[in-house]
Amino acid sequence: MTDEKKRILVLGVGNVLFTDEGIGVRAVDEIERLYDVSDNVTLMDGGTLGTRLMDPILNCEHLIVIDAVLGDGPAGSVYRLTGEDLRKSLAFKDSMHQTDLVDTLIMCEIVGNRPEAVIIGMEPFDYHTMAIELSPVAKERQEALMGFVLEEIANAGGTFSKKAVPGPTTQEREPCA
Amino acid sequence: MSGSKPQAKPTPQSNYSGPVIVDPVTRIEGHLRIDAVVEKGKIVDVRSSSQLFRGLEIILKGRDPRDAQHFTQRACGVCTYVHALASTRCVDNAVKVKIPKNATLMRNLVMASQYLHDHLVHFYHLHALDWVNVANALKADPAKTAVLSNSLSPNRKETAAQFKAVQDKVGALVASGKLGIFTNAYFLGEKKNEAYYLPAEADLMATKHYLDALHMQVKAARAMAIFGAKNPHTQFTVVGGVTNYDALKPERIAEYKALTDEVTAFIKDFYIPDLLAVAGFYKDWAAIGGTTNFISCGEYPTDEYNLDSRFFPQGTVMKRDIAKPGNFDSNQIKEHVKHSWYAGEAALHPYKGVTEPKYTNLNDKDRYSWMKAPRYNDEACETGPLATVLVAFAKGHKPTVDAVNFVLKTLNVGPAALFSTLGRTAARGIECLVTANQIPVWLNALVSNVKGGDTELYTPWKMPDEAEGVGFVQAPRGLLSHWIKIKKGKIENFQLVVPSTWSLGPRCANGKLGPVEEALMGTPIFDPARPVEILRTVHSFDPCIACGVHVLDAHTGKTASFKVL
Repeated sequence: MTDEKKRILVLGVGNVLFTDEGIGVRAVDEIERLYDVSDNVTLMDGGTLGTRLMDPILNCEHLIVIDAVLGDGPAGSVYRLTGEDLRKSLAFKDSMHQTDLVDTLIMCEIVGNRPEAVIIGMEPFDYHTMAIELSPVAKERQEALMGFVLEEIANAGGTFSKKAVPGPTTQEREPCA
Repeated sequence: MSGSKPQAKPTPQSNYSGPVIVDPVTRIEGHLRIDAVVEKGKIVDVRSSSQLFRGLEIILKGRDPRDAQHFTQRACGVCTYVHALASTRCVDNAVKVKIPKNATLMRNLVMASQYLHDHLVHFYHLHALDWVNVANALKADPAKTAVLSNSLSPNRKETAAQFKAVQDKVGALVASGKLGIFTNAYFLGEKKNEAYYLPAEADLMATKHYLDALHMQVKAARAMAIFGAKNPHTQFTVVGGVTNYDALKPERIAEYKALTDEVTAFIKDFYIPDLLAVAGFYKDWAAIGGTTNFISCGEYPTDEYNLDSRFFPQGTVMKRDIAKPGNFDSNQIKEHVKHSWYAGEAALHPYKGVTEPKYTNLNDKDRYSWMKAPRYNDEACETGPLATVLVAFAKGHKPTVDAVNFVLKTLNVGPAALFSTLGRTAARGIECLVTANQIPVWLNALVSNVKGGDTELYTPWKMPDEAEGVGFVQAPRGLLSHWIKIKKGKIENFQLVVPSTWSLGPRCANGKLGPVEEALMGTPIFDPARPVEILRTVHSFDPCIACGVHVLDAHTGKTASFKVL
């Protein structure tokens, strides 16, 4: 790194249709609503993972993924997993996905650029019920989760500031027509 | 081996009798379980069971019809756009808005880039490992591999050094145990799996192109994002047209063109020749894995209201009779639930569809899937690339006829070979190639409209109090339909009939097997512990079972290095 700032991608992933599985997407939406971030930071709703995320991942140097993570803690626990630990600790055997995050990162490595990656994740309370609202536990811990993500952004060389006027919430937004 | 025509090998057989369960089937989207009974090395009974409940229909009730697309495209991590399009088309249809020509072209161009992306990824990254033994590639002679590869297309200029580099890269992966993307592949194991029988050089060639295709799919995805505003969840379709005004700029169009041109060249010089080369060694699979009935709604309209205006024609081929293709009539669709985890036994048309879950248990042989069983005229129908290609071939669609004849001639087989696992995989390549060749036509039409001053992308409309509508999309995986009933301006009922329920659904009320079940009957199993033969046929359908759960599971590994914040 010279004086060029690291390109940081903040990728919220998960399926917003399954309660807390959408915590990553909700968090990234909320950060976008409340904060202005520096030019080297891209906030992105990645939805459910797949090879189509390779382009943005290949184009960043530091990847911060926000996701639901099954650890051993109580619902709402926030975890930090780093790239090399991911490889060791997370089974990508029998992935339920076409390609999961670890597969996608390995593919990025093979193609030539595997960015430094970190996952900031939260233990979900419920990730089975089809509902678009987070569980009360996850909702209550969302701000803490966002705090850790912002800290991660700062550590990676990004900056942020609170917007004077926050953007509209999903409920306030008119459906596009 | 280069120069000499490969001969069909006899399919390796075993004498195994007993159950074979693949659960979950990997390298697909979602969770599918295949429960087979094998007698003397052949499948004699089989159930295809989807283990994920999709309750989208329930969550959509009472919402604004315009919002449906934002929910339906989240059902899945792969087919996001096709759901957005089907939802948009069904509301377009319900509110009776006629969208501008350019909007149709934009929708087609985004769809085309999705086809290019999905079929490329399917062949190289989801399906190839069923045919290609990456471990065996390490034994290949890089110089001979270069000769083989360059003999397949005049535009290939590959070198021994490049193939050697791939061997080193893959060798390092295998040695480190960090197999990653190859984990659980059925070519792994102490004993060689005899069901794989490509020469080492063909294995190495395909492995290199697996890696090259990773680069190429990134470009296809980028093309999709240029017109689709973003990827994976496109944000440009609206009831009444599209909103990607930025995509009308010449520099955006040029960007899309450069990317799709490059991907198209890769399809012509690599995908199709590789497909034909691999197929040449596995010709025995032209007699395994076939089904009987096929259905397609066609795709790429010029007039959204007219199914007959679609570039790939709509239609059916029943009882394998390509001499008498039929017309697609949506009134003939019914969804059965007698063998699914839903209440009741009634087979209903989608407008009258009910989604009332009633789970029994995993080992129930009577009700055994979260999928309903769609039937057309009471018949199970395969949909997807093979259906599109067979219908187009049967109806004399020239670009498809030419491509099919080229493939059949190269492989030295007749049209009967299409009704097979190999035929299905070849059809996907054909559909991809024919689509790619059509992109410049749509792009030129768009450019000439814009030059003539027509930049219309949206037609205003009014929400009716009551209406019903349907949106048909022939997605990369097949026939997708969304059905909406609007009451007081809100969604009263919404049903999705998705490609994978057509192809991978369970038995119907009349006890007829679903297409993948039918296709698996009689399939030889050489090694019951590594039943790659099941994967070949199941993957050839490109299953995509709405992704529900993807939570990272930290329980399954060493979790010691977790840092709790």
